[in-house]
Amino acid sequence: MAAGSLVLSDDSIVSRIDRSLLRVEYAMILVGGLTVFGLMLLAVFSVGGRNFLNAPLPGYVDWIEQLMPVIAVFGVSYVRREGGHIRMDIVVGALKGRALWLAELATTLAILLVAMLLLWGSWEHFLRSFDISQPMWSRDSSMDIGLPIWPAKLVVPVALGVLVVRLCLQLWAYSLAFKHNQARPVAVPLLADVATQAAMEAKQVSSREQEEAN
Amino acid sequence: TEWSVSLWGQRRAFTEHVERLAELVSERTNGEFTLNISYGGLSSNRENLDGISIGAFEMAQFCAGYHADKNPSITVLELPFLGVTSLEQESDLSMALYQHPAVVADLARWNATLLMPSPLPQYNLVGVGDAPATLADFDGLTVRATGGIGAAMETVGAVPTSMSATEVRQAMDSGVVRAVSFAPHAHMSFGTIENATWWTTNLNPGTVNCPVVVNSDALVDLSDEHREVLLGAVDEALDHYLSFYEEQTMAAWGPALEERGIAQVSFGDAELSAFRAAAADPAATAWIQQNTARGLPAQELYDFVTGLIAESN
Amino acid sequence: MEALDIGIWVTCFLLVMVILGMRVAFAAGLAGIVGLIAIFWARKDFAGDEFGWALSVAVGTAGQVPHAKVASQALSLIPTFILIGYMAYYAGLTKALFEAAKRWIAWVPGGLAVSTVFATAGFAAVSGASVATSAVFARIAIPEMLAIGYNKRFAAGVVAAAGTLASLIPPSAILVIYAIIVEQDVGMLLLAGFVPGAFSAIVYGLIIVGLAMTIKNFGPAVGGFTWRERFSALLPALPIVAVVVIILFFVYNPIPGEVAIGGSVIDIPFGGDSWGTPTEGGAIGAFIVFLMALYRGMRWSEFRDALVETAKLSVMIFTIIWGVLIYVRFLGFADLPGAFADWITSLTMSPMLILICILLAYAVLGMFMDAIGMLLLTLPVVFPAVMALNGGLDVSAADSTFGMSGPMCAIWFGILVVKMAEFCLITPPIGLNCFVVAGVRDDLSVQDVFRGVMPFFIADALTIAGLVAFPAIVLWLPSQV
Ligand code: NA
Ligand code: NA
Repeated sequence: MAAGSLVLSDDSIVSRIDRSLLRVEYAMILVGGLTVFGLMLLAVFSVGGRNFLNAPLPGYVDWIEQLMPVIAVFGVSYVRREGGHIRMDIVVGALKGRALWLAELATTLAILLVAMLLLWGSWEHFLRSFDISQPMWSRDSSMDIGLPIWPAKLVVPVALGVLVVRLCLQLWAYSLAFKHNQARPVAVPLLADVATQAAMEAKQVSSREQEEAN
Repeated sequence: TEWSVSLWGQRRAFTEHVERLAELVSERTNGEFTLNISYGGLSSNRENLDGISIGAFEMAQFCAGYHADKNPSITVLELPFLGVTSLEQESDLSMALYQHPAVVADLARWNATLLMPSPLPQYNLVGVGDAPATLADFDGLTVRATGGIGAAMETVGAVPTSMSATEVRQAMDSGVVRAVSFAPHAHMSFGTIENATWWTTNLNPGTVNCPVVVNSDALVDLSDEHREVLLGAVDEALDHYLSFYEEQTMAAWGPALEERGIAQVSFGDAELSAFRAAAADPAATAWIQQNTARGLPAQELYDFVTGLIAESN
Repeated sequence: MEALDIGIWVTCFLLVMVILGMRVAFAAGLAGIVGLIAIFWARKDFAGDEFGWALSVAVGTAGQVPHAKVASQALSLIPTFILIGYMAYYAGLTKALFEAAKRWIAWVPGGLAVSTVFATAGFAAVSGASVATSAVFARIAIPEMLAIGYNKRFAAGVVAAAGTLASLIPPSAILVIYAIIVEQDVGMLLLAGFVPGAFSAIVYGLIIVGLAMTIKNFGPAVGGFTWRERFSALLPALPIVAVVVIILFFVYNPIPGEVAIGGSVIDIPFGGDSWGTPTEGGAIGAFIVFLMALYRGMRWSEFRDALVETAKLSVMIFTIIWGVLIYVRFLGFADLPGAFADWITSLTMSPMLILICILLAYAVLGMFMDAIGMLLLTLPVVFPAVMALNGGLDVSAADSTFGMSGPMCAIWFGILVVKMAEFCLITPPIGLNCFVVAGVRDDLSVQDVFRGVMPFFIADALTIAGLVAFPAIVLWLPSQV
């Protein structure tokens, strides 16, 4: 029951880029969701195969391990766009105007630093498992049925790459907000206090209830 | 000099040689060279070669079967039914293979130098329900066995299932699998013998190969004196490991089985050779074919290993 | 600078970043990377030309974590449990449960509130997350309570408190997270949450009955349902029972495989073997609820929304997991958990007093922090200390401080900590469940809900005291397996 989006939009360039990027990010999170569903089906096949056909799915654990990074990491940028990563907003929640945008600029910059360092580290981690000269380009394989692991490892730098683009865009939007002392800037998640956020969640639930009633 | 050593789990028979090595090295250098052992704090067990490669720690242990493509050359020792009969033989065989140029080159891709093995006994099966009397009884048996051992079990009609070691006990108690393939110490520490009814004494389907490696640069950077101490202590550490495994683990194993009234199943020579014929040769052929494709002198490695075994038996 | 000093400095740096409002996952990741750089650079005595080396090793070490720690079979339970909750909502199970609870138990004093608690406990058996549970029940239960004259603050408080049951009663995402951090058997922990969850529900129920009997005009009992009406209400709620039973059979099958009757052994069909592992049980539960939602006419757009919401919550949780595990990787290099455990065990206070202090510290911390973030940040240091206090991970019950073996102590402490974390969902100033309930109702402010939920502080304090004093409440069920 997560909150609806708190990101405003208009005709400015920064907002247009925001929405284009959102399309990519939404596709990525949807792939993550479909993968959760796939994980469920995988278990159904495994259990069904074992109990009814005495033929368990070969490499069931290996396949789960391949799918998990897609679920866990692929949508990281979408969640950032929606302001969904958890934080303590006791201090930020008390800030207003330029002070708030400055604080957001600072933490976004810090997150950009983390994202870029991890992009580097996870890319190298991928490269260590990848060798174009080997069968299936594989230099690292899973335990049971020997699946190449590089595709699953590649998920992380790809997701972080999109996150880096998103963070740069947000830096731009926050600096505009700071420069013009905007009250409600576009392309960044607005700091709803927890109560407003909860109200949006509640609305979402209510709208579903209503749909059901109709 | 202080080296960080990345192991996993907790101190057990499987890590006694590293613990002993740390003691010996520290003693013989008057504490100037120490090995700081961490159980799981520095890396996950499947990422230990990565950590060695980037230089996060200087020494680590891993198992070849965790990631065959990272270390294809030493997986030859995990082929089923090689016919290794003792821990000591397993140890000597590993040490010999670790010197082979193709193996050295394989691990050099990770900036790693093989130091010593962690020899494990054969992965015989512990199971619940009616004990198998002949190979035919394996037909339809659900068994937790991974990699080559799983493939071998499949040739006699068993149904191998993969799951993480921590889920094995529950899977067995609940009947998801009827038998589990582990080394004795793991059968004891993962509790598979608690409700089991039978154990195969001489099926000997194979084992895993778990070397201890060091970061090659760090080894070069050691002073001549310290390097000599380290390499010179390997044999003694391995001896300690072997006697610990024999005296502590295997000595506890027999009584543990008897205490729980677990039937010990032995198969006749005819049965075993039939099993071997069905499983061993196809597995070896497949291994040679796959690893030749990887650019390894696979036939040569296989002949090297089987030659050494034939020589010593 | 010693590794331990670096550990303490970096931990302070992390706390400052978190308090200043940096997203917890990335603050932890940054602290971890900075700490790793310091650790590796210290090995080269902070020589200026070695900084580049230290940076690349630190980044290489941290860069493994997002893939390596997330690609795990056990963690696959988390998205599965979240999916079950969303699917159950579309399958119409929430309303059915409330209706059934109302017809069966609303005749006791404070009946509708008690019914709300037990309907929520029932939904908890298919939902893995507390906040979602409160949001759903606020919509269904509060209007009915208000209609028959309940105080609106109290009605809101009941829903906010009852929602926390979802994290004790399996399935529970937070119990899985605990099991992963401390490397204990997930199945056992989930099983262990069942009785304390039911115990919590009963304590909530008793508190309500007590209030209803002492306060005038509290809210009438609701009786007058015929048996026919009662039984007919069970039917729509039955799928929940079916799901719970099927999951139970998948994971623990309590029926013996054969019985001896008069000298002959008789096979029981479906007896003996369970049909799967916890991972599979969760997935099968999700699948059954999915089929129900399909039967109820779930559309593609709803299905897509459910998947996106599931993925979003999963990503949020997993980002904290891998972010914090980068920090934990650094802690491993600094050996801070070992040092903290040594310090705790060297204290001269009684071990029970130390444990109580730790739980109180969680209560304070939880006022300001999210439950998952709090557990992930603290457990790597606190858990080894508590285990050491009990005499180590391998200690037998006879040699231990608290009278339970190492693995049992891990389960007991896990349930205590999760109960604390849930308690924090209803305490001001950041009690998320209360915000959610206030959000559902335009006529309720957050302060109203916080006031209404206060009786349940007492209930939770009693529950926690009960779990500390009588560990058997937690350990009886897992010790039967
Ligand atoms: Na639950
Ligand atoms: Na709170």
